[in-house]
Amino acid sequence: MIPLLILSPLIVLAALGAVWKARPVHAALLLALALSLTAVLYLTIGADFIGLVQFMVYVGAVAVLIVFSLLITRPSDEAEEIARRPRSLATGLFCTLPVLGVLMFSLIKGSPTATAENNAEDVIALPISKIGEVLFTSHAPAVLAVAVLLTAVMIGAALFARDTEKSQQPPSDPS
Amino acid sequence: MKVAGAIGLLMISLAENGFAGEDERWFTGMESLPCLPQRAVEMILSNFGMPEWMVSMAGFFVAAFTVVAVFAGGFALLSLVERKTLARIQNRLGPNRVGWFGILQPVADGIKMLTKEDIVPAKAEKLLHLLAPILIVVPAILALGVLPLGREWVPVHMELGLLFFFSVGALTELSVFMAGWASGSKFPMLGAMRAISQMVSYELPLMISALGVIMVSGTLSLPEIVDKQGGFLLGFIPAWNLFTPWGIFAGLIFYVASLAEANRCPFDLPEGESEIVAGHMTEYSGFKYALFFMGEYLGLFAIAGLGVTLFLGGWQAPLPGLGFVPSWIWFFGKLAVIIMTFLWIRGTFPRVRIDQLMRFAWLCLIPMALLTIPAAAIWVFTGKGLLSWVIIIPLMLIPWVIMTLIFNRRLAPATRTYTFADS
Repeated sequence: MIPLLILSPLIVLAALGAVWKARPVHAALLLALALSLTAVLYLTIGADFIGLVQFMVYVGAVAVLIVFSLLITRPSDEAEEIARRPRSLATGLFCTLPVLGVLMFSLIKGSPTATAENNAEDVIALPISKIGEVLFTSHAPAVLAVAVLLTAVMIGAALFARDTEKSQQPPSDPS
Repeated sequence: MKVAGAIGLLMISLAENGFAGEDERWFTGMESLPCLPQRAVEMILSNFGMPEWMVSMAGFFVAAFTVVAVFAGGFALLSLVERKTLARIQNRLGPNRVGWFGILQPVADGIKMLTKEDIVPAKAEKLLHLLAPILIVVPAILALGVLPLGREWVPVHMELGLLFFFSVGALTELSVFMAGWASGSKFPMLGAMRAISQMVSYELPLMISALGVIMVSGTLSLPEIVDKQGGFLLGFIPAWNLFTPWGIFAGLIFYVASLAEANRCPFDLPEGESEIVAGHMTEYSGFKYALFFMGEYLGLFAIAGLGVTLFLGGWQAPLPGLGFVPSWIWFFGKLAVIIMTFLWIRGTFPRVRIDQLMRFAWLCLIPMALLTIPAAAIWVFTGKGLLSWVIIIPLMLIPWVIMTLIFNRRLAPATRTYTFADS
């Protein structure tokens, strides 16, 4: 309970900062901070595997991807960003409030897996091999669907890269 | 002398706990010598009646301190050894003024770095500029913490050690970005871009070649992976992962990828001195610059130590009958050999170009690394005997040769002509 009390305000603050900062680089780094603090939260409740995977995927891949795309693009005007803020705030609230409602509803109502019979120690003692087994037997359709989605995304990204490459002339070799 | 002898005796008698079945008291004392500070602090604290969690917490602090002290000392030593070795390769003398044969050169370097002016560029982001060198040392030390450095010497025993190693390594990329972006200048930016793209590309073959080891050992815990590599084949060949048909290839790929991951020559583009000054460290001076170097060398130790753990049997002795030597000596000996080959390569090969670097990772290393996964599966399911050698060697070699031929003929970049140099 104590780690949750310490970490959750920090996570919320970092997430708010990620939304509020005008400079995209600051926002990206604060997002990385929020994600890594979430990983720490997972580690403190004993879900080591999830925590480490969270760190590896979200900090090591997603945050680095965002940061890298910031490096190779031109920074936008900050004043314009701030002027646009009220309208984007309204859009953001419109998008996030329903999600928040669903999450709160399921939290209060309680999901079927989090009943009293599954006490905390059983969850903590879950070995990785068990997670793997469950993922590739009873949850195999979901894994396959995610794999198909990711493949489609990769093909789409490759197509996008192709198109831009064709429209731009490659820089001539200064030889 | 007497005091030193008494302290030594005290240490050996303290070190006896946790050891059974071995007769040679001296060697058992040597074996757990590195763990001694931790054990001693724990013993003293529990004698004073401290609560359990406080005792183990203090023990962890002391263990962490031991690791940092050992590898920081290794960093100082390596900086001297590297300069000396490179100098000998290039037919120079190297540092030879400070102390006996230049042995005190690291101390002089340290004093120089500490007393230099700490310059922060006017255009820099102050906070990020300060944070970057700190955050580059932290993941390296964290990664060193899970390596089994000896039979009794595992600073933090984690069930998911390998995953932990790779996931803290992700922080390095972010701190390199912070260094490059916060400096507010062109060279660090370009250097950071190169460094991040190189790290992301070479992390893939690194992890994929480690997958085979995980499949064969069936665990992510590094001490257990080392335990599984104990024993000898035919009485004298150590049962390391390197001496299996898939392990040779996976080990080679891991070695090349770790060269790139540690930013060593021939893949040292992120700080290619002759091209982009010093990459992401251009705008740093004084102790922050030293911290970058420290992070780099600690990362080198960590990645080479992981290679030793995964493929070279960690602390296992290389020949039967050598088990009496303390296991951490074997670990550090293997680490020294690997790092010496790194230095040798640095003194021998020229730096590759950025397009060659990317091409090599994505078109050559990653497909070859993917092939080691079915090879490891075959090794497990055909009984780890002669039959698996017969199946796996052609399976690995034929695509390897075809890939090399294609890579050399079609995909190799066109030879450059240098107008001013040729005419």
